[in-house]
Amino acid sequence: MSRQREAADRREFLGLAGRSGAAALVSALAQAAPPETGDAGTDRIPTRPFGKTKEKVSALGIGGYTLGQAPTYEDAERIAHEAIDAGVTFFDNAWDYHDGKGEEWMGKALKGKRDKVFLMTKVCTHGRDRKVAMKQLEDSLRRLQTDHLDLWQIHECVYFNDPDRHFAKGGVVEALDEAKKAGKVRYVGFTGHKDPAIHLDMLSRGYPFDSVQMPLNCFDATYRSFERRVLPEVLKRGIAALGMKSMGGGGEPILLGAVTPEEALRYAMSLPVTVTISGIDTLSVLRQNLAVARGFTPLTEKEMQALRDRCAPLAADGHLELYKSTMKYDGNVGREQHEFPPQKELPL
Amino acid sequence: MHTEEQTARRDFLTTMGAISAGAVLGVVGPAAGHSPGPKEPEGGGDDAVPRRTLGRTGVKVSALGVGGHHLGDVETVDKAIQFVHEAIDAGLNFFDNCWEYYDGRSEDWLGRAPKGKRDKVFLMTKVCTHGRGADLAMKMLEESLRRLQTDHLDLWQVHGVSFDNDPELAYAKGGVLEALDRAKKQGKARFVGFTGHKSPAVHLRMIKLGYPFDTVHMPLNPFDAGFNSFENQVLPELGKRGIAALGMKSMGGTAAAVKKALFKPEEMLRYAMSLPVAVTIAGMESLDVLRQNLKVARGFKPLTEGEMQALRDRAAPLASDGRFEVYKLSLKFDNPQARIPHDFPLDPEIKEVKEMFRRAEGGSPSKK
Repeated sequence: MSRQREAADRREFLGLAGRSGAAALVSALAQAAPPETGDAGTDRIPTRPFGKTKEKVSALGIGGYTLGQAPTYEDAERIAHEAIDAGVTFFDNAWDYHDGKGEEWMGKALKGKRDKVFLMTKVCTHGRDRKVAMKQLEDSLRRLQTDHLDLWQIHECVYFNDPDRHFAKGGVVEALDEAKKAGKVRYVGFTGHKDPAIHLDMLSRGYPFDSVQMPLNCFDATYRSFERRVLPEVLKRGIAALGMKSMGGGGEPILLGAVTPEEALRYAMSLPVTVTISGIDTLSVLRQNLAVARGFTPLTEKEMQALRDRCAPLAADGHLELYKSTMKYDGNVGREQHEFPPQKELPL
Repeated sequence: MHTEEQTARRDFLTTMGAISAGAVLGVVGPAAGHSPGPKEPEGGGDDAVPRRTLGRTGVKVSALGVGGHHLGDVETVDKAIQFVHEAIDAGLNFFDNCWEYYDGRSEDWLGRAPKGKRDKVFLMTKVCTHGRGADLAMKMLEESLRRLQTDHLDLWQVHGVSFDNDPELAYAKGGVLEALDRAKKQGKARFVGFTGHKSPAVHLRMIKLGYPFDTVHMPLNPFDAGFNSFENQVLPELGKRGIAALGMKSMGGTAAAVKKALFKPEEMLRYAMSLPVAVTIAGMESLDVLRQNLKVARGFKPLTEGEMQALRDRAAPLASDGRFEVYKLSLKFDNPQARIPHDFPLDPEIKEVKEMFRRAEGGSPSKK
């Protein structure tokens, strides 16, 4: 997406929510979230296996893009530390978030806590070759103040010719191997928000990805659905499924009153995913999400179906998942590498 | 949407059309014979527009069809009538239309044209329930028949199957598919099908739920092959089931690739017509455009597979973000008349919505 746009959407969401009683919303949520029994009756955030590896990560993760939108670094640090104290281990980022600030802030906040977290960032070649990828890896490691990543993913596989470009000779997939061999990354995967068919194409190439990240929410369940089409394929292969956009990316469904944030997050976390990566830029949003995640008990299949049924008529045109239905969420960095015109020149 | 397409067309004409204008006036060849071959040029060396078999119906239709929306764009009713006669005389028999094009003007104009020639044409129109039920569909059918001045349609299609819940709505009890059955039983529609420009997955769902459609209508062009492709995903399923494929948007809807001089219109049209389709329905709002398309269609020789692949390869890097096929992507290209019955929000800034409100306030459908 246009990063500016995402930022604007986010701010708008929070701003609007603020004006229209977000405090009430947050406190209602805090009260509503039942202290369900998670890990052995504690109120810790549950951990889940990372695919077929022996690794376990927290079921709720911190999104690096949104963390980079916290009002100040100090706010971001407070969010990161409170999340870690609550048992969150999964931290997401990407080389191109806020021109590096996303990674820099996270690196600074994780100082002395690196071993407590499972650190992921993404490589943003968008079709460029492995040398570009390896250079970005060095940038990411430096900014994140670490000598290795737990997970390195190919960012934003959203164009129909991306699989060809990534798997081309000398392409980014070769960099994944090289980085693993050099001990700089432990696991590798890819991400994308656009079309299940592109994810399936990436998977069909037979490369041993450890993780696949995708939008998963109660609207996706019936509209160009990653849940229906990609999730089963990922699980069949023993790959870790990472969910994102549990609230529809910019929080539009929440603003419209279609679902509550609690319902949306509970739905996403009830799917057979390793982690739901959540965009959090304030302590109140963190606490709201922690209230759901602590001692998390999944929805029953019947409750999930009821939510899918409720959302289906709203979901069917894609206006609540614009990252799938339009080009608005496709980043300009990636567009440029494909020689596509920038966002502002699009006929949309 | 249409207005842009129109503009694109006009641009195309200024660059390409002037060449042929006047050259062919009144010199159209004899009406195409009903020769047998399934889809390829017929009567070797003949310059007739070939006829192809419409799936398992066995009916023959011209490989080039006349789009009903653009017919409503012709300057006057007299010119539209002249256009239709010239198209029929040139051997085209497939005429497309739709209940909601220009609030009925397109059907009305087409209905006035083929006086005495009804039996020479294969007449299709579409029903615009957009999720609403069979009773409304039957009312629309009566209106279409009245405007088209006929007692039956050759083909009646469910229009604009676009949204992910459209198949469920169509198949629901009391849904539009029941109207298709009724219309057939009453002899008011010989064959039935559906159309849509949005998503191959939605088309596949409609097909796989099992209704015995005779035809399926979809966008087919070199860009489609590289983005969310109907050609790759839907066309093979139709072949397997003996359902006739009807192609549209051979120039990509807004003809953006033609306007940018990336592709020649005749390349685009030849590509679309070389696919295993019964007919390619082209939007043509002037005799000039008709004549240009006839140049491609007469004695049509399909591209070789190698030539087609070369066009796909050229289009692929441009196609892969979808900007040359906005009808598949942008919600702004959704028909507002389809969004309303779904309770989807309307964007008051887009021109189709503005136009709709203007009409609702008593204005007449805009011509340009």
